Amino acid sequence: MHDPTQVRGSHHHDHGHGHDDEFVRRPKDGVLRVGVAGPVGSGKTALIEALVPVLIGRGRTPAVITNDIYTSEDAAHVRRTLDGILAADRIVGVETGACPHTAVRDDPTMNQAAADEILERFPEVDTLLFESGGDNLTLTFSPALVDLFLFVLDTAEGDKMPRKRGPGITECELLVINKIDIAQYVRCDLARMESDAHQVRQGRPVVLTNSLTGEGLDTIADFLLAHEAAQPSGREAASA
Amino acid sequence: MPIPALLTGLQLTDSAFPSGYYTLSHGLEGFQQARAVTPRSLPALLHDLLRHSAGPSDATALALAHRAVTTEDWAQVVAVERRLHATKLGREARQAAVRTGRQLLDLADEVYATPQIERYRTLYRDGAVRGCQPVVAGVVHAGNGLTTRQAVTCELFAFAASFVGAALRLRLTDHRRAQVVLHGAAPVIEEAVAAALDRELADLGGCVPLADVMAGRHERAEARLFAS
Repeated sequence: MHDPTQVRGSHHHDHGHGHDDEFVRRPKDGVLRVGVAGPVGSGKTALIEALVPVLIGRGRTPAVITNDIYTSEDAAHVRRTLDGILAADRIVGVETGACPHTAVRDDPTMNQAAADEILERFPEVDTLLFESGGDNLTLTFSPALVDLFLFVLDTAEGDKMPRKRGPGITECELLVINKIDIAQYVRCDLARMESDAHQVRQGRPVVLTNSLTGEGLDTIADFLLAHEAAQPSGREAASA
Repeated sequence: MPIPALLTGLQLTDSAFPSGYYTLSHGLEGFQQARAVTPRSLPALLHDLLRHSAGPSDATALALAHRAVTTEDWAQVVAVERRLHATKLGREARQAAVRTGRQLLDLADEVYATPQIERYRTLYRDGAVRGCQPVVAGVVHAGNGLTTRQAVTCELFAFAASFVGAALRLRLTDHRRAQVVLHGAAPVIEEAVAAALDRELADLGGCVPLADVMAGRHERAEARLFAS
């Protein structure tokens, strides 16, 4: 049986992707920027809604930027769900011009602009969550936009999903397998799915979650904060 | 035209340049949602927007700012930007100009690092300017050695190319016809450039009431692909 309290795999294991060596990353400003990607319906919005209270509980001050493909449904949903937890004006939507991966990878100009505006209005914000529009398995985030990104799969998509690979699955800093509670009802072999995920990611971390009960969410928060702490010029350096 | 300057013009107008234009329809989506544009009328709408909106507004601001930068009249640069911002009626258009302008300023500083960009950044840090895209583009092109005419032509071409790109995604054209529409706009771009070069500061500002109404509706639309 899985143990969702542990992130399996080592995030220090760089097996040739060489992100940190090859990309010019944005200057550190003390704000942790996290991308959340994944197919339509895999639970990106629910994950963010569950993660925000956990982050607040850890003393963080988050804000959320959603990249809805067509409507402001995601932003509105997050505002409703986090009513009383996160002020509505700390959740903004960005239009993507019909192409979610362009808006967070090829030309993240408007997401950067939205982040700048949030940070101008709320300088105390120290964590920005960028939800991508639901996209295919090739979606990755520009390293100029985020420090790291999660890719969210869910069991209802079928246990074959990790084997399809795709840069989103293989290159994200943390792969999330969500909706583990319904695996048994959708004929998903969760053990197989998890095992395949580890195999295609060659040891990079994978976490199993149920966003509705909060299972696995502390693990994600631990991972994000550990990732930030491991950066040479992270939060502490910026505030020094 | 010196090749290095030409190359910067090509780079800045290339659709691969991260200008943020990919998320803008320049008012087209509002017309499409109101069913006020068809594939047949698409070129006419583009021509009208070039003549009465982008030309008298953004292109004129760019021309005036470019000229002012060339003569080191920075007070005029500030004045141009104030008037440009004040004459953009719709919130989406104002917001798009500032968002894309600030990002262009930041990137151009890294890519070109000209004294003109540095001077404008000082004005920006002091709060004298907002970073409206046409004015930033004027500063960047001037620093890169393009003439005012070349700079304005580049930007109006980028506008037209972005417009037909949006039309493609809105299914108002196809990939082949889009190129016909773009090339067909060339004489209008030439005309709009000439008119922009002749305008004074007091004449800055477009007049497109129907497009303003469409933009206002688009701002409150329940669903949209584009930020403008």
